[in-house]
Amino acid sequence: MRRREFASFIGPSLLVMVGLLVLPLIRTVQWSFQEVNYGQAGTFIGLSNYTQALGDPRFGRAVFFTLLLTAIVTALILVVGYLVAIGVNGLGKLRPYILGSMLVAYVLPGVVGAVSFSWLFNSNFGGVLNLVIERLTGQELLWFTDTWPNRVMIIAHTVWHLLPFSVLMILAGLQGVPKELREAARIDGANALKMHLWVIIPTMRGIIGFVCLITIMDVLRTFDSLIPLSPQADAIGNESIMFYVFDNAFRDGSQQLGLGSAVNVLSILLILICLFPFIRDLLKEAKAKA
Amino acid sequence: MRNRTQIRTGITAMVIAASLTSLTACGAGSRTGAEDATAVECDYTMPEGETTVNVLAYNSSAIDPFTNTMVKSCTRENVTLKHDPIDFSGQVTKTTATLSGDTGSYDILETYGFAVPEIASAGSIVPLDDFVAEYGEKYELDALNEGMRSALSYDGKLYALPMQAQMYVMAYRQDIFDELDLTAPESFEDMIAAAEAIREQGDIEYPIALPMSATADISTIYQAAMNSTGTDFLDAGEPQFTSDGSREALEGLKSLLPYMDPEVTTFDQPSVQQQMFNGNAAMAIMFSGRMNDLTLESNSPNFDKFGFAAPPSLAADAPYLFSRLSVDGWAIPENTQLDKDMLFQMIASSVGEDASNASVPAAYPAREGIVTDESSAYAVAANETIAATMPAPNDPFSAPVTNAIRPVLVEVLLGQTEVEDGMQEMQRLAEETVSGS
Repeated sequence: MRRREFASFIGPSLLVMVGLLVLPLIRTVQWSFQEVNYGQAGTFIGLSNYTQALGDPRFGRAVFFTLLLTAIVTALILVVGYLVAIGVNGLGKLRPYILGSMLVAYVLPGVVGAVSFSWLFNSNFGGVLNLVIERLTGQELLWFTDTWPNRVMIIAHTVWHLLPFSVLMILAGLQGVPKELREAARIDGANALKMHLWVIIPTMRGIIGFVCLITIMDVLRTFDSLIPLSPQADAIGNESIMFYVFDNAFRDGSQQLGLGSAVNVLSILLILICLFPFIRDLLKEAKAKA
Repeated sequence: MRNRTQIRTGITAMVIAASLTSLTACGAGSRTGAEDATAVECDYTMPEGETTVNVLAYNSSAIDPFTNTMVKSCTRENVTLKHDPIDFSGQVTKTTATLSGDTGSYDILETYGFAVPEIASAGSIVPLDDFVAEYGEKYELDALNEGMRSALSYDGKLYALPMQAQMYVMAYRQDIFDELDLTAPESFEDMIAAAEAIREQGDIEYPIALPMSATADISTIYQAAMNSTGTDFLDAGEPQFTSDGSREALEGLKSLLPYMDPEVTTFDQPSVQQQMFNGNAAMAIMFSGRMNDLTLESNSPNFDKFGFAAPPSLAADAPYLFSRLSVDGWAIPENTQLDKDMLFQMIASSVGEDASNASVPAAYPAREGIVTDESSAYAVAANETIAATMPAPNDPFSAPVTNAIRPVLVEVLLGQTEVEDGMQEMQRLAEETVSGS
C-alpha cells in the first residue's frame, strides 16, 4: 500500500480520534487545574480541585464502591460467562436462538434495561422477584435503600447486562481450541475439570484477558444504570465515580467543571492501574506473535 | 455452514427486536401530540431569512399544552419553532449551559419562580416590562394573575411571563375515608390519626405517600413544611435552618415516616402516583399538575374513588398550609441572537385564553377566571390551597442553598444525623453558600 493510500484510509479515523478523544482529554487535564464555569474562561487554581476531591469522604466512598463492583462483577462474568459458554457450545439447533435472546440484554440501552430490571424488585411496579424472595425468605428486603441488598441488585443487573459479550467471546475461544489438544489430554487421562483447568483455559488466555479488560473498563464507567437502580446512591454508599462526577459537575445546574475534570483525571489513572496487568499481557502476546 | 446461517439469522432477529424495543422507549416523550394542540393567533413581524426558534421546556401534562400551542401556532412561513422532548432535570442542566456563554442554544426558555431570582440577578434573562407595556392590551396580559407575576419577578421587574402554577393538593381514597368515618386531615396530627385508623383496618400498611426522593423532591417537602410555620430557607438573605420553624418542619416530617413506605426517600412524584394507582397508599400530597392523572380510568381501577382536598397544615395553629406555590413561565435569554420582540409575541400568544382553556384540567393556568370550582375534581382544593400558601420569597441564593443542604437533610430524615446536629450543619452550609466561600 502506498503512503498516500494509507494516509487516506487512516486520516478520517485519526481526525475523529483527535477531535473526540485527544482534544477533550487535553481540555480535561487543563480544566482540572482551573475553576471553570460554563461559557467562561477558567481561572488557574493549582491543585485545589485535586485536594478537594481527595479530601472528600464521598469521593472515597465512590472509589471504594466502584472498585468493589468492578472486582465482583469481573469475577462473576468470567466464571458464569465461561460456564454458560460451555453450555451454549453444547447446544444444537437451539444455539442461535439462545445466543440471540441473550444479546437482548447487551444491546438494550443501559438505562432502559436498568429501569426494567429495577421493576423486578420494586413492589410499586409489580416487583415479581421481590415478591418471590419475600415469600421464600419471609423477609422484606429494602432493595433501594439498604446498602447491601441494593449492591446485590446492582451487581446482578451489571452481570445480566454484560454477560452476553463475555459468553460470545469465550464461545469463540472455545471453538478455537484444537480438537487434537483435547484428544491428547483425554488419552493422557485428564478428566473434564482438569481438561478445562489445564488445557482449554490456558489455550484461551488471550481471550480471557480481553474479556477482563473490556469488563473492567465497562464497570469502572458505571453511571446511567444507577439512576433507576440506586436513587439515593450517595446516601447509602453506592455511588460510582462517574455518578459522583455528574452530581458535582452538572446536576441541578451545578457548575463545578474543574472539580469534575480533576475527578476524571484521577479516574483515568485508576483505570490505567486496574488495566495495567492486562494491557502488559496483551502487548507481550502481540510482541511474541510478531 | 448451515449452522452459521442459523446463528446469524437468530442473532439478527433478536438484535432487531431489541433495537425496536429501545427505539420505542426513546420515542416516549411528549404526552400531548402537537397535532392536537390549540391553534391561536401568533402575529409577529416575519423575519426576512429562514429562522429557527429553539424552545427549551420540560414535558409534562401541565406544560405541554402551552408549549404545543406555541410551536403549532407560531411556526409559519420563514419561521420554525423547534422543541425536543426533555425531562425536568434535563431542562435545569440545559438552562445553566445555554445561559452561560455569549450565545446560547435556546431562544425561549421555560422557567419557574424558584429559578428566576438566580438567573435574573445574573442578567441572563431579559426583563419583560417594556414588552408587557407595549403588547399588554393585544394579548390581554392584565388577566395574568398578579401573584403569579410577582412570583416570576425579581427586584421589581418581570422576568418571565406566567403560564401556569402548581400547588400541593392532597388526594385521598374517599371510599376508605367514608368507610372509616374519616374527614380530610387538616394537620399532620390528623394525618397520623387517619393513617393509624387505615392501617388498623388491615388493607394498607403504609397509608401516607409523599414525594421525598433524596435527589430532588425532599427539599421541596421540607421547604413546604417550613412554609407552613411561616418561615423559609432564607429571610432577607439570612439562612433560617436553626429556626424553630426548621425544627418543627423536620420533626413533623419525621413523625410521618412510620406511616410511609420504608423506601420513601426514593419516591418521586410518578412513584407516589403509582402508589395511589395501585391502592398501596390512601393519602398523597403532590403538586396539582399530577392530580389529573389520578382521575383517568386508563391509569387506575381506583380512578373514581379519589377525593381531593387542600393539604393539611404542619400544626393546627400553623399560619399556612403545608404547600409550595411553583409558578411556571416563559423567559427570553439575554444571549439569544433572534429578535426579542418576535420572541415575546410568541410567548404572549401561548398564554392566551384559548391555550389556557385547553390546558385545564391538567394545569392551573395563570390567566384569571379560567379555573372555576367546576373545572376539575380538584379545582376547589387547588383554589383553597393557593389562598393559604405562604408567598414564596424571591432570593437568588434559594436554589444554590437548596442544593447545598440536601444531602444533610436526607441524613436527618433517614435518621443518620440528629435533628439538632443536622440543623447546625445545614445552617453552616447555607451560610457558606451565601457568602460564596
